[in-house]
Amino acid sequence: MKFIVVFIATIFLSFPAFSAEIPQPYKGTIEGQGGQRFPIAVSPLRNLGANSGDSARLSTGIADAMVHDMELSGWFRVLDRSAYLENAQSGITLGTFDFKDWSTIGAEGLVKGGFSVQGDEITVELRLFDVFQNKERIGKRYTGRVRDFRRIAHKFVDEVINQFTGIPGVFNTRIAYVSNSGGRFKEIYVSHLDGSEKFQVTDNHTINLSPAWSPDGRSVLYSSFKERNQTVFLFELFSGKEIKFTPRGGGRYLGGKFSPDGQSIVATLEAAGNTNLYLLDRSGNVVRRLTQDPGIEVSPAWSPDGKQIVYVSDRSGSPQLYILDVAGGKSRRLTYNGTYNTSPDWSPRGDRIVYTGRVGSRFAIFTISADGGEPRKLTSESSDSEDPAWSPDGRFIAFSSNRAGKYHLYVMQVSGDNQRRLTGSGGDDTKPHWSPRLD
Amino acid sequence: MKFLFKISCYFMLTLFVTVGACAPSATQKPDSKTGAGAGSARPPDADSRAGEGSRGGAKESDTGASSLKGLQEGKPPITPASSPLKDVFFDYDRYDLSADARTVLRANADWLKSNPNARVEIEGHCDDRGTNEYNLALGAKRAQSAREYLTTMGVAPARLSTISYGEEIPVCKEEGESCWKQNRRARFVILQDRPTS
Repeated sequence: MKFIVVFIATIFLSFPAFSAEIPQPYKGTIEGQGGQRFPIAVSPLRNLGANSGDSARLSTGIADAMVHDMELSGWFRVLDRSAYLENAQSGITLGTFDFKDWSTIGAEGLVKGGFSVQGDEITVELRLFDVFQNKERIGKRYTGRVRDFRRIAHKFVDEVINQFTGIPGVFNTRIAYVSNSGGRFKEIYVSHLDGSEKFQVTDNHTINLSPAWSPDGRSVLYSSFKERNQTVFLFELFSGKEIKFTPRGGGRYLGGKFSPDGQSIVATLEAAGNTNLYLLDRSGNVVRRLTQDPGIEVSPAWSPDGKQIVYVSDRSGSPQLYILDVAGGKSRRLTYNGTYNTSPDWSPRGDRIVYTGRVGSRFAIFTISADGGEPRKLTSESSDSEDPAWSPDGRFIAFSSNRAGKYHLYVMQVSGDNQRRLTGSGGDDTKPHWSPRLD
Repeated sequence: MKFLFKISCYFMLTLFVTVGACAPSATQKPDSKTGAGAGSARPPDADSRAGEGSRGGAKESDTGASSLKGLQEGKPPITPASSPLKDVFFDYDRYDLSADARTVLRANADWLKSNPNARVEIEGHCDDRGTNEYNLALGAKRAQSAREYLTTMGVAPARLSTISYGEEIPVCKEEGESCWKQNRRARFVILQDRPTS
């Protein structure tokens, strides 16, 4: 089962002591000399075991996966592999290669590693070196299944980012999304950010929407028309089990989101034309109704402490964001700019809320402080950008945009910088939802 | 992974079969009323029911099949020009009824009153601007606006059910108001085998 990979051993080869030279954990950014992106080289891996037909694919494949993640983060400038000077006899441990080969081409950081394959199992050693200080900063060994080699690369990059920022990266994660794969049906998929390990959650040839992860990363909640009337289903990725949520008093569930502790779900229930928010337990039983408004109440998202829910209501005459105090039941209006603000998601850091807002006839991604104030526009209104979702560390935002014609998934930094397209399905990909960090 | 996929397929199949098995009991009423279908293996969606009901026997084919069924069968979700029940249209992000919409609804109400056996599902649709979940809610509002007006005109509420497809099943997919306005609609589909919800 792809989802039950256990990395048997993660052995520290060395414990890098933080020195004054390597950037100390500082506010979530990584910079090289002079405030630029940190220039780093990622050397193809050495095969440390017996030669096999797979060697070249693994050697560059693991390096490519690391390069993908580093570039997606926006914090690194990965030096082009064709510029590397080092000869093939150089080693991968301190003292077995010459740092000058790397400083000459402008690298400040260097990743080297090796692997060996035994049957279905791969062991990968990866090290991060400080080229200026001629020091090793991280050394790790991972064991896993050969076909999951990219996951090892993602885990190491998360370590590298932890080394620089004090917070691990978010590349050992998955995105759940909706895709029409070029056809007329919308199905739910999950995949890694690099498009690998793609898994089709639904295949019912209808419309499936609003995928949302459980906080343990083991289940996906989504809404579907597969039984004609729309309702919400909870699909367990490990077992393939599924629970259907049926509103007891009639009506239809349009979508839902897990609470941060995984014990509750806030769901949108439509009945007699009105939509309201309901608190459910994780089996889909109603705990209580949360909103009482006769208008539209949709698209809820939890605050990271689980005490508040941001959602969309049209009670003012246009869709705007409101924040509900879950215990007290009172709502306050959050957005006042513009006449169409929808699909909010609350940063795992708690401070900001990201949402879709209309600008003229286009849609753009905005963030606003959870306390209100001026929104910050992150995407251009020369095309449409919608459906924002936070990364589990609150430093990135995934969204969908039609800037390249069809809708594709993109990732950007919380500042709006470094907007990069993810590997797509070939159809329209929408509604991304970012998983928690995975094991 | 293939294994997992097979399990999930099997699960969905089981679910489908279960639902399918439940469906006949839900449709007992119309079947027993006409006497048709008792013991027959006719599929529930067959629309060859000429002579059933009164006053010409309203058929699903008169209005076109539900938009979801159309999607599954690869047919556009378009109401035929010959349909006795016409679409009504809405302004952007609105679900109130214009004078034109009310005129259409009055004609639809007249037809429904003279075809008292016809049950209708009202579909709410939106253009694709905005977000999916909000548009599902907006489509529900549109369908409900139409339903409430028809009941005000004397159509029995039990004959009218609603469903929202949001922006998911558009008539056309071009950018621009000439296309968008066709998608902001309520459709009226004659139901033959499902009770109103």
